[in-house]
Amino acid sequence: MSLDFIVRDWNAWAPGISSRDDWRNRLVRQTFVQSEKASIPARVPKALQRRLSPLGRAVFNAADGCFDSDKSLPIVFSTAHGETNKSLEMLKAMQRGEEVSPTAFSLSVHNAIAGLFSIAYADHQEITVIAPAQDGIAPAFIEALGLLQEQHSEVLMVLYDEPLADFYPSLPFALNAPVTCALAMRVSLSGQGLPLRFSRSSERRDDGEHALQILAFLKFLVADGKALALGNHRHSWEWHKI
Amino acid sequence: MENELKQLIIDTLDLEDISVSDIDSDAPLFNDGLGLDSIDALELGLAIRKKYDVKIDADKDDVVKIFSSVATLAEYIQAARG
Repeated sequence: MSLDFIVRDWNAWAPGISSRDDWRNRLVRQTFVQSEKASIPARVPKALQRRLSPLGRAVFNAADGCFDSDKSLPIVFSTAHGETNKSLEMLKAMQRGEEVSPTAFSLSVHNAIAGLFSIAYADHQEITVIAPAQDGIAPAFIEALGLLQEQHSEVLMVLYDEPLADFYPSLPFALNAPVTCALAMRVSLSGQGLPLRFSRSSERRDDGEHALQILAFLKFLVADGKALALGNHRHSWEWHKI
Repeated sequence: MENELKQLIIDTLDLEDISVSDIDSDAPLFNDGLGLDSIDALELGLAIRKKYDVKIDADKDDVVKIFSSVATLAEYIQAARG
């Protein structure tokens, strides 16, 4: 079974990258500027700006570039690790016998950035935050395409992750991208844009987890290749330009 | 005391663009005034407990009144410390 859809528009953020040409060059060379923080879009109310973590800034920056704030859309966020680094900091504070900051706690949960986004953009449509564990970016597509089948005309997808703290073992997993990265896409079943076909594959693959798959998908968007296959031991999926 | 509290509010809540002189001691802290919210109230409660060893108990105290302005907050802390 396969599902066709259209990428109406997309926008992505990683340190030091601001255009699609940049993406084409950087993904080929795999070089990034590590230190840069994403700017906060002007549409975000002042009172909320101080709540945005570096990862939140990346998400807002990517999403703002392909989202018309006058038109509320359902949104599917997807992140393997979310604000895990924030949770680790809190656990360390508890270990030192300190009290945990209520603000840090409220902003560490898996849907924290999504919550801030819905407030900042007054988006009251349904918003989902996928935690795909080892299954990569495909669950976000399944969710978004499901929403399109349910008669929503457009869905905003936002895939994001940041590198995990060294505290967590990287082996035997393949879970860490070299940089923070957020990819936002507006998808629909009709209209102008890049038409794609999404299908299950029986091939057994090892492309790493969510963070690495976002970069692979971005490369697919900007490069000339017609097909992309991604899997992480269990299920594999294919995307074809049609 | 009031200026010290204002600085504590700024530092604790990351109010980067605001200085002590911008905060009116009698202006409301929440909603219309500084625009703080319920998470800020919890964060501020924790900071006050750390700095002044004064606990504001939501079950016993009139939290709305205590947090209504810098002046009322300072008054409460001073009274509680004796």
